[in-house]
Amino acid sequence: MAYNILVVDDSVTVRAVIAKTLDIAGVPVNELYQASNGQEALDLLAEHWVDLVFADINMPVMNGIELVERMSSEGLLDTIPVVIVSTEGSATRIEQLLNKGVSAYIRKPFAPEMLREVVDQVMESKNDG
Amino acid sequence: MDEETREKIDEIFCDVIEKMAFMFGESVPEDELPPAGSEFVRTEMTFSGATEGSIVMAVPAQMCAEVAANVLGVDIDSDLAESRSCDALKELLNVTCGNILTALAGEEPVFDLHPPTLSEINEEDWNNFLSDENTHAYNVDENPVLLKITMKS
Repeated sequence: MAYNILVVDDSVTVRAVIAKTLDIAGVPVNELYQASNGQEALDLLAEHWVDLVFADINMPVMNGIELVERMSSEGLLDTIPVVIVSTEGSATRIEQLLNKGVSAYIRKPFAPEMLREVVDQVMESKNDG
Repeated sequence: MDEETREKIDEIFCDVIEKMAFMFGESVPEDELPPAGSEFVRTEMTFSGATEGSIVMAVPAQMCAEVAANVLGVDIDSDLAESRSCDALKELLNVTCGNILTALAGEEPVFDLHPPTLSEINEEDWNNFLSDENTHAYNVDENPVLLKITMKS
């Protein structure tokens, strides 16, 4: 099964790197959507079916934490897992995000294998749920 | 800055640039830096939260496209490498900053990282940055790179 994936990051380079890494890692992708902040992501989610979201934390307009909170309040987190991809390594911050319903956390820089592993785990967990 | 902290910063920067851009860096004394050219770029970002501070990186202008090409896995002469060169350098600083803060402050404190900015600097600015005693100097695939992190105690 190929996934519709949304990548949310204010860096166009990071979005391109995640897209390339998904390809290298052999993750089956149907549609790859991109957004540069949380608000753009919510707009895209309102119009397209998405199986999985990769999101940064620090972004202008609406950051990744607000995005997760909005997705949670709108019930979107029940069906669409969110994986945070960030430079931040604070265990406190990661715990906060997991408590808010985030499915996984990947710290930059990351290897293709790590991305593949997380996608497999998250999607398996989603399908089991 | 004590020697242990300097070594930690050097180790993290070299690790990040290797993993992100597949480029190899080593800490060198300033008089052993590769030739720098005459056009330079400086990227800077601030952070707040557990501690406030800033991190600055300066590189020769032509290195930006090389970083972008390596990060994106495209040819250095491609339009993509050229168009993404500034963004790639800012992201390199962003990732370096996050990793250094965790290494220096530990995994409990929470930091807010603010978006990096980028500007062109001249040779005089480069030399002033180089002569700062807190600046770290690296040879990255025969490119000189300067890095400085400032944290309020």
